[in-house]
Amino acid sequence: MKFSYNWICELVEGVNTGARELGQLITMKTAECEGVEPFGEHLAHVCAARVLEVTDIPGSHNKKVVVDAGQHGKKTVVCGAPNCREGMITAYAPPGVKLARGEIRRMEVAGVLSDGMLASGAELDINRDAEGVLEFAAEPGDPIPGCAPDSIIEIDNKSITHRPDLWGHHGLAREVAAILGLRLKNPVNTARLPEGAGDVLVSIEDFDLCPRYSALTFDNVTVQPSPLWLQYRLHSIDLHPINNIVDVTNFVMAEITEPMHAFDRDTLKGDTIYARPARAGEFITALNQETYKLEESMVVIADARGPVAIGGVIGGLDTGIVDRTRRIVLEAANFKAASIRKTSTRLKLRTDASMRFEKAQDPTNTVRGLARAVELFEQASPGLRLVGGVADAMRPIPPPPEIALDLQWLARKLGRNVDPKQVLEILERLEFEVREEASKWLVAKVPSWRATRDISIKDDLVEEVGRMIGYDAIPPRPPLIPSTVPPANEERLFHRGVRAAIAAQGFTEVYNYSFVNEEMARRFGMDPAAHVAVTNPIADDQDLLRISLAPRVWKNIQDNSRHFDSFRLFEIGYEIHRKADGLPDEADHLVAAIYERDGDGRAGLFELKRVGECLMPGLEAAPVEARPFEHPARAYQIRWRGETVGRLYEMHPSMGEGRAAMLDVNLQRVRGLGAAPKRYQPLRKFPASAFDLSVVAGVRELAGEVEKKLRALAGESLETIEFVRQYTGPPLAEGTQSLSFRLTVYAPDHTLTAEEVSGIRARIIDGMRASGYDLRV
Amino acid sequence: MSEEQLNELSSRALQRIEAASTEEELETVRVEALGRKGALAQASRQMGALAPEERARIGKLLNAVKQSLESSLERRKAAFAEKALRERLESEWVDLTLPAPGIRPGSLHPVTQVQAELEDLFISLGFTVLGGPEVETERNNFDALNIPPEHPARDMQDTFWLEGGYVLRTHTSPVQVRGMERLGPPLRMIAPGRVFRNEEVDASHEHTFYQIEGMMVDRDVSIAHLLYFMKTLISAIFHRDVTVRLRPGYFPFVEPGFELDIHCLICGGKGCPVCKYNGWVELLPCGLVHPNVLRMSGIDPEEWNGFAFGLGLTRLVMMRYGIDDIRLLMSGDLRFLRQF
Ligand SMILES: [Zn+2]
Repeated sequence: MKFSYNWICELVEGVNTGARELGQLITMKTAECEGVEPFGEHLAHVCAARVLEVTDIPGSHNKKVVVDAGQHGKKTVVCGAPNCREGMITAYAPPGVKLARGEIRRMEVAGVLSDGMLASGAELDINRDAEGVLEFAAEPGDPIPGCAPDSIIEIDNKSITHRPDLWGHHGLAREVAAILGLRLKNPVNTARLPEGAGDVLVSIEDFDLCPRYSALTFDNVTVQPSPLWLQYRLHSIDLHPINNIVDVTNFVMAEITEPMHAFDRDTLKGDTIYARPARAGEFITALNQETYKLEESMVVIADARGPVAIGGVIGGLDTGIVDRTRRIVLEAANFKAASIRKTSTRLKLRTDASMRFEKAQDPTNTVRGLARAVELFEQASPGLRLVGGVADAMRPIPPPPEIALDLQWLARKLGRNVDPKQVLEILERLEFEVREEASKWLVAKVPSWRATRDISIKDDLVEEVGRMIGYDAIPPRPPLIPSTVPPANEERLFHRGVRAAIAAQGFTEVYNYSFVNEEMARRFGMDPAAHVAVTNPIADDQDLLRISLAPRVWKNIQDNSRHFDSFRLFEIGYEIHRKADGLPDEADHLVAAIYERDGDGRAGLFELKRVGECLMPGLEAAPVEARPFEHPARAYQIRWRGETVGRLYEMHPSMGEGRAAMLDVNLQRVRGLGAAPKRYQPLRKFPASAFDLSVVAGVRELAGEVEKKLRALAGESLETIEFVRQYTGPPLAEGTQSLSFRLTVYAPDHTLTAEEVSGIRARIIDGMRASGYDLRV
Repeated sequence: MSEEQLNELSSRALQRIEAASTEEELETVRVEALGRKGALAQASRQMGALAPEERARIGKLLNAVKQSLESSLERRKAAFAEKALRERLESEWVDLTLPAPGIRPGSLHPVTQVQAELEDLFISLGFTVLGGPEVETERNNFDALNIPPEHPARDMQDTFWLEGGYVLRTHTSPVQVRGMERLGPPLRMIAPGRVFRNEEVDASHEHTFYQIEGMMVDRDVSIAHLLYFMKTLISAIFHRDVTVRLRPGYFPFVEPGFELDIHCLICGGKGCPVCKYNGWVELLPCGLVHPNVLRMSGIDPEEWNGFAFGLGLTRLVMMRYGIDDIRLLMSGDLRFLRQF
């Protein structure tokens, strides 16, 4: 929201705080000021000038113009505006003045030295009219009336979401008055409202949706441009001047936060205005030329024929103000905030009116809006007449809440004492009606413009007092709390351990989006339909939630392979799996990857296996059927403590260049299996003996399986079994390999004799041979 | 053997000892002179034939010659050993300017690192660390935080909606709800985590970023207490003087609500993309927990109250390391990530 500093100064008596400083104060006490920018600075140097002489310049569409520019004297300028004519008063900008389009220089145009320039409203940033030079009434040398340099204070909309009153200048002026301790002026004089029955009747069908609708009819209206000051003011806060009638409604909205609408009375059918829910199948073409299909949840304003406006959002095109309009009905209404917000969301149409109504506007404000408009119309449309009194349909406005405030409670909330007098003063400056009840109690009656939603409980008053004394005035203080050990978060601790271990092994941690898309899912052999879908994705390629970290990690690998020939990276994140009902399952996973542009890829796979063993000592790899993106001969399941907890594989070469080994571990499951309980084993008392065995097996036979068989045969006397080497080649037969292991055997109660050791060895050899293995002994 | 002969033998042997160029030559001299069948042994055997006083004289001389030869041999031997050692050591020269083989440690994501620091800080202050799901119910993300469906505050957070009416949490605040419902009062908790906003991505906006939610519920928790924790937090994070300001801020789940801003550490307050050119960075929305929020989680606001804050962890990380483009954090770019 943009606010004019000059406008605020007109509403507060005696402001002598500059715009920038005021912006700071507003930020610290009321709402976030996003910036303060000068506006119309050049207007200090632009003045009125009378056109004395206009002569053609041969061969140019421009004219040579002589003007009387007051203190600047007579000036010759070149001007191409069609409306430039002798006798008119227009705006003269001398050389050196900086306009939006650049600095004005004394220069030769079509052979004539142009000493300054005559400017249009658009060039001067007074309005958007670029058709011709500005035309107004003034004496040469005067400033342009009502168009002084200003500053625009921009307030973050989000920070005034809860404050219906701050969507207009008077509301912000009230804050400024309270901050600076100055008096607020009231721009509205309701005594201006005519008595008597209204010219139109108002019928509200649903007071919940439309608690109040006030209307006033005017005739003898002349539709014309507004006075320059009015145009300038609207233009400075980004409201486009349109015509005097519409401009006045916008001005009132920007001043006292009451959105208004004017209908052309002669295009309204019948004498009754209805505020009612839309009927199914109704349409309206709005002022923005768009046609909207209305729904029964929306409020429309209708005449005898049908909808003439979408209540609180936008007016209809057919009943809008046009040049020939002579009679108008001015509407000032109040609508249910939630309904307006819903309508505006459904129609994807946010207007200056809907933005305000959805914040829950003050229903007492409708007639104030009409009163302010009456006054402004007198200036903007001379000769206009009131017809009848105010037609005002409403349900009783609930009395503003009274909130009892215990000052001791307030002090406990703030964490410091506040002088009761100061509390009283702060609340009164913000126009609460406050009375003292007993010594430590105040009762505050909430002003109507803050009673709609903003303030309803005593906690809200803590904020009013806190922000006005300034939060910097509250000294920080540690609380007195019992010294207890907080319960540990096992998951976080586990993740920390995993992260530290993996990073120590040379892996760099990446973070990836939780989103994937259909193509990514399909490439990794996952059914897009198995994913939770985003109904309003930010981009088409991010419309599913990941059920695997692999696709994004794979993208990291491809991205980084442009810069590095070899790297290691990992991610810990959540897979999100859809459930039949209830929230999806979120399982924390680790994906670690090693990329090598060259090489045969074996080293990477084994390194990842070792990394896995750091987390899960004694893990086992078991071959598994490869998925389409996996190397068919290099896909293994990771099993630990009897459960499948992950997967170790190489990416299929069709996925991209180089070798990428991937380890994917379900950390949730690993954590669930728990750390192995540790128990001390007494050191062995008698020496052990070791011997080697070389088993000849098929080349695709798994060393792990052979080892298991040896282990089983060795039985209780086995202390350790260690893999020594694998060998293929002569004298071994084609298609076989030799796997050598070193077995260490012992007995707990004596030293094994040579006979015992060879007995064990022979038992194992016999056992293996019985299972069909040859042994090289 | 006469005295002359002995002297002659001695001086010849000494000459050969000095002249020996290898340990083997030295050994030959030793064997020939001092060995069991060596010259001195022979001389010693011939002693019996001498007259007694002659024998004593020659015996003495013999001993002197023996000692002299032995010590010379010893000296030369030591010299050879020393030379050999010198040569070995010389040959063992290594160039330690060469890179050490093996894998260098990797690195943790900067968000992980800062998050861990903050978790430790809050654990030390008696807070428990809670987690919550990335996919949340509308109730936990909005309604239970005093943001009913038609509340305009819902527009403050562009939400990713999911099938089934769920949302990707727009803030870590739903963990407040989970915390209150699980632990009950009194409680002190933080909840770091990933949050989502449906926003276009640019240098200062991400649709995926990190927050740390914090909450304390107890009897008579005040703004002064909140300020204490926020100050402790800021000084622990930055280890330096940071200019802060506390101003009113609107969040439906707190009343009163504040924004804690810090002076932009990227540009020093002059204005840059990270601070959107205004010199201040919103770091910590916070406030006293709204009584409705307590009530909705089954806590009586007349008996208990508390404060809550939501720290922009991502923003903080950017400030800490001077990162001026938020997109880098989710880029997976090792050129960036290896710097931490
Ligand atoms: Zn900055």
